[in-house]
Amino acid sequence: MSDTVPAGVTIEDLHKSYGDNEVLQGISITVNPGEVVCLIGATGSGKSTLLRCVNRLEDPNSGRILVGEFDATDPDVNLDAMRRKIGMVFQQFNLFPHLSVLENCTITPRRVLKQPRAEAEAEAMHQLELVGLQHLAHRRPAQLSGGQQQRVAIARALTMKPSLMLFDEPTSALDPETVGDVLAIMRDLAQAGMTMIVVTHEMGFAREVADRVVFMNQGRVVEEGPAQQVIGAPAQPRTQDFLRRVLNPLGE
Amino acid sequence: MALSNRERARLSLGIQAGIFAAIVVVLILLVDWGAVQNSFFDLESVSGMFPGVITVGLWNTIQYTFFGFLFGLFGGTLLALMRLASFPVYRWIAAIYIEFFRGIPAILVFIALGFGASLAFNLNLSTLQTASTALAIVGAAYIAETIRAGLQAVPKGQMEAARALGMPAWRAMVSIQIPQAFRIVLPPLTNEAILLTKDSSLIFVVGMAGSAAELTKIGRDGILQYGAGMTPLVVAGVCYLLITVPLSLLARRMEERGPGRSSRRRPRKKATESPVTAGVK
Repeated sequence: MSDTVPAGVTIEDLHKSYGDNEVLQGISITVNPGEVVCLIGATGSGKSTLLRCVNRLEDPNSGRILVGEFDATDPDVNLDAMRRKIGMVFQQFNLFPHLSVLENCTITPRRVLKQPRAEAEAEAMHQLELVGLQHLAHRRPAQLSGGQQQRVAIARALTMKPSLMLFDEPTSALDPETVGDVLAIMRDLAQAGMTMIVVTHEMGFAREVADRVVFMNQGRVVEEGPAQQVIGAPAQPRTQDFLRRVLNPLGE
Repeated sequence: MALSNRERARLSLGIQAGIFAAIVVVLILLVDWGAVQNSFFDLESVSGMFPGVITVGLWNTIQYTFFGFLFGLFGGTLLALMRLASFPVYRWIAAIYIEFFRGIPAILVFIALGFGASLAFNLNLSTLQTASTALAIVGAAYIAETIRAGLQAVPKGQMEAARALGMPAWRAMVSIQIPQAFRIVLPPLTNEAILLTKDSSLIFVVGMAGSAAELTKIGRDGILQYGAGMTPLVVAGVCYLLITVPLSLLARRMEERGPGRSSRRRPRKKATESPVTAGVK
């Protein structure tokens, strides 16, 4: 984190449809540099699509996204250069199964940034140490537990020295006992000053770590504000309804 | 009395084995072993085939197949990428090529190349060039479909993760998608190599000098030369098996080892960890 500057994100009136299905119906969100924003909402509310528009894994139909110095929606933007500054962590980890843990972390610095092998490996080992997995550097991803794989995925993203991290339901595919390790690393990252946008169902994490929480429903922002307010005392009936079902799945 | 399931299964197996044994016995009794011996297994008369059948025939067959497969692999990979390209003209060209060369008999390609190419382009191709090019042309069509399926079998998240890290599309293809696809298609590719090994015999339609003769040519010439019936063809056939059987054993081993996609497998849960201490740091 020492040599990266956290970037801010500005999203203005973003629209995205698949055919007739309008998944994002005019989203506007601002994330300040160093801020942690959690996106919450039911499945299909558009939060993952919104996240994937930020690094242009999805192309929005209209609207504007600014990430630090980059205009992500400019047709002439250098997408690869922009993505190098945006780390992304996926629900299914998406580690490269044919490469060792260490190679997962060094392939992009070496092949894209043309870093010498020794330099890339030193940085990768440093990042693996921060997620507590340097002893597994020479294993294959398949030999790791889900929680370990996700920690490697975070380390892999950090070797690119991003100024923004996107997390797309990072703990949803994990065994319950490994969720804590991943969330702890994300909390450390937030405390180190990284800008983070996190799609999550972990209300405890959102309440503790997020500076702001955005509740989305059917492609719109219904409510946003400090975590204590949105999760602790939601003003909108739909937010109240959603939280009641998430926090108390069995009803009364 | 009713039979139990296990007894019924044993009885059924016994009947099958009995029928099989009866067929073998009948065949053994019916066959004129003397005649078979004379026209198929007269190994003494064809001792003159050695060592040429190995040093020339087997060696040439391996060479023609190896280069044919190698170029076919390059061509097939290119065609597979064209099939999956977003530019429609590439897709059409690849689709037409694949349909055409999968649809016509390989022997026509050998004839076209052996006789047509020398007329059309005033080329004088060596036997190695003709055989390996013809095999590459045919092989590429089959290999393209195999590799296309392999590329599509790599989970979409792999490409997304690579692009999200900032890899350009070609780099993600070369470093992430193609290596994983190759692991998936190695067993079927080995089968393509086996098919090409046998198709290399088709070069006989073009004809070749003795030093360029491959196994089938040597076998056919041997029939005239040794007066030992079909024995030279049997020798050639055994030589083909020397190539193809190890290849299939290799393919089977690779299939057993799996294509390296095991990251989808869920990790085994630790049963010892109590739910109370789990996740507490």
